[in-house]
Amino acid sequence: MNEQGILKGPLSHDMSRRSFLKWSAVVGGTAALAGGGLKFGLQQANTAQAAAEGKWVTAICWHNCGGRCLLRAYVVDGVVQRLKTDDTHPDSVDYPQQRACARGRSQRMQVFSPDRLKYPMKRKNWAPGGGNKELRGKDEWVRISWDEALNLVAGEIKRIKEKYGNEAILAHGSEIGRALGLYGGYVTSWGSTSFGTWNDTGPKIGAFTAISKIGLTNPERADQNDRFDLRNSQLIVVWGGNPSWSGAGNPTYYYLAAKQAGAKIVFVDPYFNDSAKVLADDWIPIRPGTDHVMVLAMAYTLLKEDDPAKNPLIDWDFLNRCTVGFDKDHMPKGADAKENFKDYVLGTYDGLAKTPEWASEICGVAPDRIRAFAREIATTKRVALHAGYAPSRTNNADSWPQAFMTLGWMTGHVGQSGRMTGCSCRYNAANGGPELVHQGGEGLPAIQNPISATRLNNNELWEAVLSGKYTAGYQSVKPINVQLIYHGGASALNQKVGLAKGIAAHRKVEFVVTQHYFLNTSARYSDIVLPITTRWERFGDFGDGADRKREATFMGSQVSEPLYEAKDDMWIAREIGARLGLDPKAIEPFSAVQRVFNQIAGATVMKEDGTGYEKLVTITDADMAELNVTGKPQTGRLPIKEFRDKGFYQVRRYQGDKYGYIAHKAFRENPEANPLPTASGKFEIHCQPIADFIKKQGWTQIRPIPTYNRPIEGFEDTFKDWEKKVKGPYPLQLFTIHYPRRAHSNFDNVPWLREAFPQEFMMNPKDAAERGIQDGDIVKVTSPHGSVVRPVFLTERMMPGVTTLGQGAWVEIDEATGIDKAGNTNMLNGDIPTGQGHAGFNTCIVQVEKYDKPLAPDYKWPQRIVFPTGGGNV
Amino acid sequence: MSRQLAFHVNAAVCTGCKACQVACKDKNNLEVGRLFRRVYDVDGGGWVERNGFMEPNVFAYSLSISCMHCQSPLCLEVCPTGATFKRADGIVMVNKDVCIGCRYCEWACPYGARQFNEATGQSSKCDFCADLLDKGEQPACVATCPQRALEIGELSELQAKYGATSQVYPLPEADLTQPSIVITPHPAMLLANANTARVAKPGEV
Amino acid sequence: MNVREWALVAFTILAQMSVGAFVVLGLVHAWAMQRYSPDKADQLSDRALLAIGPTLALGLLASLFHLGNPLFAYRAVFNLASSWLSREIALGSTFALLGALFAFLQWRKIGSFELRNVVALLAATVGLVLVYAMARVYMLPTQPAWNTWATPVSFFVTTFLLGTLAIGAAFVATYWWEWRGGRLQGSALAEMLRPVLRTLALAGIVLLGLEFVVAPLSVALMATGGAAASVGILTSQYGVMFALRLALVFLGAGVFGLWLYRTALRPGAETLLGRLAWTAFALVFVSEVLGRFLFYATHVKIGL
Repeated sequence: MNEQGILKGPLSHDMSRRSFLKWSAVVGGTAALAGGGLKFGLQQANTAQAAAEGKWVTAICWHNCGGRCLLRAYVVDGVVQRLKTDDTHPDSVDYPQQRACARGRSQRMQVFSPDRLKYPMKRKNWAPGGGNKELRGKDEWVRISWDEALNLVAGEIKRIKEKYGNEAILAHGSEIGRALGLYGGYVTSWGSTSFGTWNDTGPKIGAFTAISKIGLTNPERADQNDRFDLRNSQLIVVWGGNPSWSGAGNPTYYYLAAKQAGAKIVFVDPYFNDSAKVLADDWIPIRPGTDHVMVLAMAYTLLKEDDPAKNPLIDWDFLNRCTVGFDKDHMPKGADAKENFKDYVLGTYDGLAKTPEWASEICGVAPDRIRAFAREIATTKRVALHAGYAPSRTNNADSWPQAFMTLGWMTGHVGQSGRMTGCSCRYNAANGGPELVHQGGEGLPAIQNPISATRLNNNELWEAVLSGKYTAGYQSVKPINVQLIYHGGASALNQKVGLAKGIAAHRKVEFVVTQHYFLNTSARYSDIVLPITTRWERFGDFGDGADRKREATFMGSQVSEPLYEAKDDMWIAREIGARLGLDPKAIEPFSAVQRVFNQIAGATVMKEDGTGYEKLVTITDADMAELNVTGKPQTGRLPIKEFRDKGFYQVRRYQGDKYGYIAHKAFRENPEANPLPTASGKFEIHCQPIADFIKKQGWTQIRPIPTYNRPIEGFEDTFKDWEKKVKGPYPLQLFTIHYPRRAHSNFDNVPWLREAFPQEFMMNPKDAAERGIQDGDIVKVTSPHGSVVRPVFLTERMMPGVTTLGQGAWVEIDEATGIDKAGNTNMLNGDIPTGQGHAGFNTCIVQVEKYDKPLAPDYKWPQRIVFPTGGGNV
Repeated sequence: MSRQLAFHVNAAVCTGCKACQVACKDKNNLEVGRLFRRVYDVDGGGWVERNGFMEPNVFAYSLSISCMHCQSPLCLEVCPTGATFKRADGIVMVNKDVCIGCRYCEWACPYGARQFNEATGQSSKCDFCADLLDKGEQPACVATCPQRALEIGELSELQAKYGATSQVYPLPEADLTQPSIVITPHPAMLLANANTARVAKPGEV
Repeated sequence: MNVREWALVAFTILAQMSVGAFVVLGLVHAWAMQRYSPDKADQLSDRALLAIGPTLALGLLASLFHLGNPLFAYRAVFNLASSWLSREIALGSTFALLGALFAFLQWRKIGSFELRNVVALLAATVGLVLVYAMARVYMLPTQPAWNTWATPVSFFVTTFLLGTLAIGAAFVATYWWEWRGGRLQGSALAEMLRPVLRTLALAGIVLLGLEFVVAPLSVALMATGGAAASVGILTSQYGVMFALRLALVFLGAGVFGLWLYRTALRPGAETLLGRLAWTAFALVFVSEVLGRFLFYATHVKIGL
């Protein structure tokens, strides 16, 4: 390691002397805590190291979980003895600590887990060209040297490129893309998953877009006021959100502050979720994928009952000044006057009035409740309408964001104190506005992917591999012949819909390779697996995720040297690149130290007066000489050494500070002077660009106004005959949630979390009783796309007719039956491309039955340990 | 007046996220199966039909508890070796040099606080993170709670501040052992009892 | 149930049987002395007495298996001030010591008859207090299924029922041993055996009656005393076992007891007498083991 002095970090001992035996002790400890060999565990390691003096360092919690909080690790001689979270300053509501959740708190159980991949390995029955491909996922593993592994991978890349061309290479994630990009390119997958249909619909209608006069704003923060102002709201509607699970950390606490300041909070959700448990004054249960009809019925109620003089419910002034397309008198240029929202809702031309009675039949909310809720929102002065992403992660949901925003625009809850309408999700939930502190870039020159135009949508990805065809646009189906799948990062096989087809696809191609630190799903179905380091084993970390918090940023230290033979992604990209005849310098032009330095040097923090940004750290020539990096001296808030040592920076917020934010305030006050980046410069209730965009994708079409587009595999599809209300073979709805055991697929293997969160299938006791199912039974859940088995948790908190299961479990196929025992929701979610090619995770229809075989609790399942600690021979 | 440290649990704000439970496992190196701090999820109520629509009358809350460091600890009374003792500040602790692992305390404790350590063959339990307290720090669970639902203090002072509730469903009668706990009840706790509510997923705790 | 709780089943059953056997033996011995002579009484009881020691020792050994650290078992007597478990261990040890002392004195005929009597009386008293202490161990306010007067009563019924039938079995064993050794001629044993067995069989039937009062009553007490969950477990999960336990004790102490009594009315049929005494004992022993298993398997703690 070349880092010295200030960037050498808090681990000042000589790590090179660490032996495998030592790792055995460390990892043996976590094995004991996992319930394995009991006597020789961390307890012993602790005793042995008790004498050594430890040090607290900031350890990054790097996952894409919706939280990303502060972790501090107590490191003694390179071994983490325990973790703590933020105690860097006294905690208060205005200036809160950035406290971590159960996942973060178990992070050392992940990093030092005995199931870490230790060596490069290949499948026993693999040979160049594929060997016995059917054995992928069930073959034995053979340990190989790094040199052999890199030669084999490079050899297959070369062979397949030369035989089939670059379009035969499908790659996901990480730095390997830099090598493949230089080598002629690779096919990628695409399609909104997290953001649902806000991804494309949002910006085109004027929401969900990084607009701030001050500076950068994550689009998720653009439509919400900041958390201080949320306390001015009298009514907060959380529509399809559960921040305590999907935005762990402070968001729920921010909502709580608003509640304690007097806000009434209403949850609209099929499940009385854990956030609602604490926050909700009222709960409106609604069927998944039917939110749109409820909003239409609310709009109908407002239109019918509004009387500007006696009963003003609609903010006509706001609609007329700030939006286009609400009624025939306010249409964008060139639009058909009949194509307006008001006439659609009233049924003027289609003969179908979108009444609460009409909506109730679909969404399950009683008509009088719909009316009352509409009136409450319209007559309460200061309302925050917060949408989670869940309702937009449904098939055919392209118009939902527009419908939801229209409700806010109609009632004028935009651009004023306590009034806002938009998304409130993940780490950005309940706290809008531009970042107060954020990191700089790595400064790595981008490498273009020469064939970036060849992209496979997530909903067709595995089908394209299997069938050799994919949708390239409107009336355009093109051939594709994928023969190599490179999982450079992420967890594509586990995390993309249509998992059963995914496994078939993996058994069809000639070569599959995965880089990971566990034998996750992608790795398990690969031919060659390359062990990589976690971010605790790399030189510091101020990268992706460091600025996810609006008010704080974290700089992780190196906690441990790389475990076993694990290597960095960049090293692998460079080594494979070299074997492909590429210039390693082009792949990695400068060191990891320089990249982290660039990020720190480029970090900015909002000025105290809120007018703009200034540099976060001060850097001198001496600092750079000591670091052996290049750059320019600069002046900032604190010296770089101090920032490195502390590992965090949080902007102190206080009542009356200048960091507040009212979304769209300037626009509301003067829309002409402050136009939105939309075609009309206004919020678009009639939005031709989104209709054109959807058509261009090649699957479905929508109208420019937010009409209800009946979803595939939505509530209506639980009926064989919707008109006569005859239920079909899949009579229940399933929506798939972010589950607290995991950040997507990460952490699924951590025994402490398996113990805390059993990956239970949730349903209402009434639906269970009809099927002879009792609480705790093992049930088989079947959708048109596959089956899983799970223990069932019966609860009245779940709306009758609806079920849920957490996404991200590591699939565990029973080869005899094809059933997944882990409860991976992508076995149930079909690969159904609609609209903008987003994932429709929350529209799924299922049948549930009692399963006749036992299933051990997950925490008793053996960990996927390929080579025991210290074992394996080259 | 003798000192008695106690936990304040604000059940009204607890989402049941189990950060406390896992932080505790991290602090105490607890293998799977041993939980010094546990979170109980309670739910109850049901659905009623009104004009053809099912409407909810459902409640739910979570309760995070550890050892109650009781004022009349039954575990201490029955411990045959005297390994169980009460510190001057009221913390109930187990002397590892004395405990022989008879597990009698497990039968006595109505809060499930006593957890057998298979590796050492001894009883183990929440010790209030006494080592951290002695250094002026907070217990791991308190310092980690994202909802700020946990707090520690002198029992009498906490009672003066938050009231004297120490018995809510599913906790046993406080008379048994006089637990050193102050609970700010979740509103739904008013509705919950053994007939109207249940502990969900009992296998988890 | 795990090894740990089976250890407790073994310990409590064997310890209680020892106490019961010791007390019953003492009563029989006193009767024999009065009716026959001290020498004849000794002939009857000395061998039986020697069997009690190993039984108790086995019980105490079994108790170690429920400890996490058996090597330090001695620490269990550190808290006599408040722990019934401490008292149980202390009393158990004292009973063992006094019993062993008495057996030694009796075997070697050391000390006066009165002195031996005092030691025996002391041992019996400590034994009976031990049974009471054993019951108190379980009478925790957090254990409603155990925290009733049925616990001591049923422990004492077990003590005397097993003690009575064990002594009966021991007597026929002694008789058989002497017969095999050809020492029966002129022995008082043959003379004493039948009346003793008749009395023991009758006592067994009376105790059985008591058991049949206590067993259902204890279930009723559980149901009303906040241990409804225990009743639920007993009737649903262990209903068959509970019925079997009652059937076995009825068969052993009742049917075979009565048969034993009637057989003992007439001379002859020594082999049958022996088989009856042992079968009665074995059936009741199995029944009591099942009963004790159910005692541990069905308790449900108050709280969490």
